[in-house]
Amino acid sequence: MLEVHELTKRYGAVLAVDGLSFRAEPGRVLGFLGPNGAGKTTTLRTLLGLTLPTSGQATVNGQSYRSLTEPISQVGAVLEGPQFHPGRTGRNHLRMLAMAAGIPATRVDELLRLVDLDSAGGKRVKGYSLGMRQRLSLAAALLGDPRALVLDEPANGLDPQGIRWLRDFLRAQAAEGRTVLISSHVLAEVAQTVDEVIVVNRGRLVAQGSLDELTQGAAAPVWVRSPDAERLRGALAAKGIEAEPGEAGSDWLRVPDTSLETVGTTAAENGIAVFELYRPRQSLESVFFELTSEPEAAA
Amino acid sequence: MTRLVAAELFKLRTTRTFAAMVGATFALLLLLVVLSLALTDTFNTKNDVRSLLSSASLSGLFMLVLGVVAGAGEYRHGTIASTLLVTPDRLRAVTAQTLGVAAAGLVVGLACALLCAAIGLPWLASKDAATLPTSDLVALFLGCAVYTALAAAFGVALGALMRNQVAAVVLVLVFLFVVDPAVASLVDSYSKFSLSGLAAAISGGSPDDAPGNDLLPQGVAALVWAGYTAALALAAAVLTARRDI
Repeated sequence: MLEVHELTKRYGAVLAVDGLSFRAEPGRVLGFLGPNGAGKTTTLRTLLGLTLPTSGQATVNGQSYRSLTEPISQVGAVLEGPQFHPGRTGRNHLRMLAMAAGIPATRVDELLRLVDLDSAGGKRVKGYSLGMRQRLSLAAALLGDPRALVLDEPANGLDPQGIRWLRDFLRAQAAEGRTVLISSHVLAEVAQTVDEVIVVNRGRLVAQGSLDELTQGAAAPVWVRSPDAERLRGALAAKGIEAEPGEAGSDWLRVPDTSLETVGTTAAENGIAVFELYRPRQSLESVFFELTSEPEAAA
Repeated sequence: MTRLVAAELFKLRTTRTFAAMVGATFALLLLLVVLSLALTDTFNTKNDVRSLLSSASLSGLFMLVLGVVAGAGEYRHGTIASTLLVTPDRLRAVTAQTLGVAAAGLVVGLACALLCAAIGLPWLASKDAATLPTSDLVALFLGCAVYTALAAAFGVALGALMRNQVAAVVLVLVFLFVVDPAVASLVDSYSKFSLSGLAAAISGGSPDDAPGNDLLPQGVAALVWAGYTAALALAAAVLTARRDI
């Protein structure tokens, strides 16, 4: 299990992470979302012991990463930014890590095949595309067959087939009981992969839950169509519920801050016919923009 | 630790930098020895012979630079993150790299000593030069190998401490060729503890080649140099633990 508790990281005057807490559980894929500069990479690097927190804790199975023995068999990581010697081949990069971790060289070839780099394994990394480097990073993360994966923007540079492969792969990893924590600034990239998301903005947690919970939040208004819209509006007003007419001349009402059940029951109690009643599902992107554009209010 | 050291040796072998540095070392050493022997007729004293044969310790300079490049290169290329994900203990990571590059330095130093012996000894014999007893020759060539290893280790520790590859290379060369001899010439008691003085003592060279002509015993000099390296490596490990990667 990966856990971040009251984590704060300050770089001089800049507060990169501000009292962030969350937990990634085994058998689930947790999406870690936020715009660029939201504090995602800092949080993940703190979890991996590469960045020191100003306060708070980031732990792997209750221990700091730096105190883990055989850490890459517990956590595999894909990081953003350069991490390869350009003059070393992909295969040798993996062999070097495997050697340091006491992992047999046969595992390297197995992983190169898995990430579809077996034919490019002998080429120097400077000749790799961004997508190939991402796949090499993923192979490095899997070297120790870890129980948890921490992936920072792993879809960067992948083509659509690569993204689909990654999605299926991560789902399979979670199905095998592994913990998967994946960051992204593109919600659509992870929408079909994650069980749950946490959304951060300016270092603070602004939302947490399943995608359904996020997209069906109470913020979305109820829409109702009735041939007697004005009478229904009055009936709702009698219960203290403000309804707004839809477009002029239409028989739609827009009813914010209420439930489908309340509107339907009110119509039935007053013998008012209802032709349509629904709460529109907000698009993932609109939820994301809503959550990350007003950090103070949302937090 | 054994597997970490093996991985560091593997790192060295799998980039072209190491091969290029070793190639340059051999080529320059060959040139230096051949030119010295071809252009000089006076090898009448043991110190003259010692001075020539200790040219092999030229490998120390190259391996010192290689060490700096290896230590700081981890930061230049970002491979330090991968290294620390496998070995989060910073002291173990720096120690492994120091030992790995030192082991490579030992082999290169030994190869340079053998090259120097293979060319120099028969040529000197043909010139009726002074001869050194076998024990002196063994001490000289082993000293060269040990000095090369220690120089490589010193470079790694300095590179890991400084992180900026170019700045670290410039600093070590300026220190070695400007600051160190200048201070040694000004402060008598420093000369035998200077890098040049220690290098001459460890590699078994002639006292004439050292600042102040005053050398520590070979073993003591090696220990002092190792102490400098350990201090740098410890500082690098402590600072790396406190720095964000």
